[in-house]
Amino acid sequence: MNQSFKAPIVHIHNLSKSYFRETLEIPVLQGLDLDIPSGGFYALMGPSGSGKTTLLNLIAGIDRPSGGVLEVCGSNLNQLDDDELASWRNQNVGFIFQNYNLIPVLNAFENVELPLLLTPLTRTQRKEKVEEALTLVNLMDRLENYPRQLSGGQEQRVAIARAIVGNPMLLVADEPTGALDAKNADEVLAMMQKLNEEFGKTILVVTHDPKAANFARHQVHLEKGVLDKTVEVNR
Amino acid sequence: MKFINLIFKSLMRSKRRTFLILGTLVLSVFLITILQSLLATLDSVSNQSTEGNRFIVRHKSGLTQFLPISYGDYLRQQPEVIAVANSQWFGGYYQDPKNFFANFANDHTTMFTVFSDTVAGMTDAEIKEYQRDGTGCIVGQILADKFGWKVGDTIPLTGTIFPISPRLTIRGIFKARLASDENTLYFHYKLLEESVPFMKGKTGAFWVKTKTPEDLPRLSNRIDNHFANSPEETLSETENAFYLTFVKMLGNIGAIIHGVTIAVIIAITIVTIGTMSMAFKERTTEIAVLRAMGFSASRVLFLLMGEGLLLVTLGGALGIGLASLVAKILREVLGSALMFLQDFRLANETILICMGLTLAIGLISTIIPAIVATRKSIVEGLRAL
Ligand SMILES: Nc1ncnc2c1ncn2[C@@H]1O[C@H](COP(=O)(O)OP(=O)(O)OP(=O)(O)O)[C@@H](O)[C@H]1O
Ligand SMILES: [Mg+2]
Repeated sequence: MNQSFKAPIVHIHNLSKSYFRETLEIPVLQGLDLDIPSGGFYALMGPSGSGKTTLLNLIAGIDRPSGGVLEVCGSNLNQLDDDELASWRNQNVGFIFQNYNLIPVLNAFENVELPLLLTPLTRTQRKEKVEEALTLVNLMDRLENYPRQLSGGQEQRVAIARAIVGNPMLLVADEPTGALDAKNADEVLAMMQKLNEEFGKTILVVTHDPKAANFARHQVHLEKGVLDKTVEVNR
Repeated sequence: MKFINLIFKSLMRSKRRTFLILGTLVLSVFLITILQSLLATLDSVSNQSTEGNRFIVRHKSGLTQFLPISYGDYLRQQPEVIAVANSQWFGGYYQDPKNFFANFANDHTTMFTVFSDTVAGMTDAEIKEYQRDGTGCIVGQILADKFGWKVGDTIPLTGTIFPISPRLTIRGIFKARLASDENTLYFHYKLLEESVPFMKGKTGAFWVKTKTPEDLPRLSNRIDNHFANSPEETLSETENAFYLTFVKMLGNIGAIIHGVTIAVIIAITIVTIGTMSMAFKERTTEIAVLRAMGFSASRVLFLLMGEGLLLVTLGGALGIGLASLVAKILREVLGSALMFLQDFRLANETILICMGLTLAIGLISTIIPAIVATRKSIVEGLRAL
């Protein structure tokens, strides 16, 4: 199955990002070009400080570029104001973080339900979707558990359920296995693979673990703010 | 409404901190409410209870000395005087010494003229019935409600000052503007005079009603001068004279109470700002995660404000509830010792003002930390880990 004929879900052209420390400009990303097709599973790799997180944040719409074209899930992110961008994220992007970032005072069910609170869904519809998502990550028996009552692997699976519950097109994950042991890491990565293959989710995962990157179909290397060629993974 | 669970659980994140700040809020609101109610009560007592053309003539050497009833003849002769009523504090109790309330032996005819403002609402028939029955009595509405008394009931009153315990039949129930005035029982003066030998021809005081308030200073001087060199000298005091000094004192108390109120408000605002800032700061990453998920900055602001407002509403309601409980206790326990406390109530106006103040404190002290918390960029918030 060759997916590269589909319209790109991420279209980046000449993208740049600089930080400013007082008046000093610190360029982080310079003139990036990248297209990710719908249904792609991309691993973004590169040394520490190369700008992986920065690029992921731009694509996910939680940071603003300094220049260039940034079109994701059919929207030109540069043209959206902050509130439009927030609602765009709610509908189009699921986030998976290294530290899971579950809300400690909410149980698994409530954590997963959070993104749905912003939708017009009724309570019953929300319950249905949350249970569907938690079934997918095999945690239906943990609905009422609070994050501190879950293992790291389970927490990350709740986070995955939270990321997919709103049925977004794009999943972004920044070092999703960075805090997990090998067994749990494999489980989480396999789950992402399943989401990609069976549910057609487009996934962008930042990692510097080559083993993790091998779960993806394509690998992109970032080096000092510049993208290397895209490599297809042979499985 | 679907966010209320999130708001509530976020507030209960650190239970100890939440209960500490809640306790501080409750105590502050309680303090403010009690002080302001006290002020409002004193105000209303001093505003309402003065019938300007009434004064009391008593023994110069104190309330425990008696005057000859015959003095009343001279008082009635004065052209400014409308009516004179002998009056004696009886100091009896009903069934149990704890059941204390004001009870007086009063002239059964003239009292209805002299106290037309504080003994009101009885029908002419009831008044006639009372005047006809020498062992009859009349009681205020509040008193009647307290003991479940009805017209026709017989009340045994145990004397403490006088060696008699009359059984009195209720002939009427009257109303007054102030609770303290309604918490009173009156019976015939003649009953006291005729059953207590040493009260024969004696009375504790005369209540005198004049045509106009302007008559009072002249008249009271004339009376006191008239009896100046007799064995029983008199002292004429107006209700107004008492309340005037009272009102003057009130001015100072009012300033102090308002000062304390403002100080408490400032202190609680500062404490709440500090607590809320700390609470929100600890959640920097969480707030960033919510926003990444699609919660807009204004939505997060709304959630954080919701927490603050929930907290102060809770604190305010508990504080005011505590205050009204304490007011009830003060009224019932200390009301017998300090008459004006029988009128101590939380006025609706005071409750509204205190609740409004609390909400304002909540709004001001939450909005600043909430704005600071939502101003931070998402990326910064995620890095804050
Ligand atoms: N807010 C900021 N202000 C200034 N410089 C920043 C800021 N955020 C990131 N940088 C810089 O941008 C560069 C890229 O950071 P980024 O976090 O994207 O790297 P990364 O590839 O994700 O690294 P790592 O693998 O360690 O997570 C780094 O040099 C970092 O110091
Ligand atoms: Mg990074």
